[in-house]
Amino acid sequence: MHHFTTTKMSPSMKVAGQIDANPRLLLMLQHFKVDFRVRDLTVSQLCKEYCISETLFVDIANLYNGFGAKKNHTYTKNDLLQVIDFLKNSHHYYRFEMYPQIKSYILKLQENHPEKELKLLEKFFNEYFTEVREHLDYEDNVAFPYFIKLLQNIDDGDTPQEYSSIEYSEHHTDIELKLHDLKNLLLKYVKIDNDLDLRRKLFFALYELEYDLFVHSLIEESILIPSGVNIEKKENA
Amino acid sequence: MHKSPLHIVILESSKIIFEGLHYILFQSEINCRIYRAENLEELSDLLKTENIDIAIANPLHFVNRDKEVKRIRKEFPSLSIMGIDFGMMQKAVTDTDSSFTLYDTPEHIINLLTRLDKRNKSLTNKTDESENLTKREIEVLTGIVNGKLNKEIAEELNISIHTVVRHRKNITTKTGIRSQSGLTIYAISKKIVEIEDIEI
Repeated sequence: MHHFTTTKMSPSMKVAGQIDANPRLLLMLQHFKVDFRVRDLTVSQLCKEYCISETLFVDIANLYNGFGAKKNHTYTKNDLLQVIDFLKNSHHYYRFEMYPQIKSYILKLQENHPEKELKLLEKFFNEYFTEVREHLDYEDNVAFPYFIKLLQNIDDGDTPQEYSSIEYSEHHTDIELKLHDLKNLLLKYVKIDNDLDLRRKLFFALYELEYDLFVHSLIEESILIPSGVNIEKKENA
Repeated sequence: MHKSPLHIVILESSKIIFEGLHYILFQSEINCRIYRAENLEELSDLLKTENIDIAIANPLHFVNRDKEVKRIRKEFPSLSIMGIDFGMMQKAVTDTDSSFTLYDTPEHIINLLTRLDKRNKSLTNKTDESENLTKREIEVLTGIVNGKLNKEIAEELNISIHTVVRHRKNITTKTGIRSQSGLTIYAISKKIVEIEDIEI
């Protein structure tokens, strides 16, 4: 299911070679707002050029490369602001690209096959998409602004005291679950005749989305939440 | 059921041997995630952060490190260690759960690994009965599809809520579908309920 690789990225490696080894890194570059023409730059040079924290870039790349999270890394406040930008950009990609794309495939599938089952599948997806949008809205409007305030040390008395990183991690619902159901339904149960091109495109989109969501929650759980908890501890000390 | 990958770490400083083993694992049918440790310290660190199931180790790394090995064993009792037998050390194999030589066939090595993976075994047994829902489970599923609460299902079937929850868990394990709306589509595909009964 997940991309398989054993090359761990390090700052001295060439970015182009890394993309060749794991093309999913292109999506990561995009979330970092880095152009794909990476010339002959090393990871370190690229980070400098784009003012991205090298530690952060390498850690996130290694999550994309299938390695576990480094739990003992500490990140600066500026690093964490970059994480939030990264996560926001991924939200944009889910909201305006991946989900609409999947939606259009399912709609097309339903048009081609008038069985009621597909109508239900479409309904299933639409409800799911609504849940996802609510979750993204919550993160964009409540969680991220909280973290940004925390990081910029702004205490305007406006910060809701009752909110905390822990609450965020609790609220952090598993939007991967229904995606998993959808994939299983299409792989194992719902009978659709032919239409393989369209169905393959749908599967590829589902897998691409699934992978990025998987890394997305790893970043939240292994980088953002622990760092937020640490800052809160220091401030309350 | 979504089967989680087997996490395997290879403790071996030779890149050639590591790559070779990695290739064998990659070609096999084992769903796994591979990590590399070049020494005992790296292995120790990795065990702390990752949920490792099996370590394939060059026992040379264990020489004169009895204390550390014991500590790892104690701290991670579920970890299985598979030794690479270089035929040079008498004692080497004693610290490991099984061993193979670099001249063994890939099939043999994979076989040993599968046997070590107890978790894997119990899961394979389960897949035999996969998807064949029992009569009771079908009744519970029908209740779920009709939007009934656990309590209502329990009353209707004259069983405890606890039992309903257990059935729900089994249904999810067997079908791989967790959400109520997903289960509805499943039930229709399997003709457990009539599509006409469902409001769209």
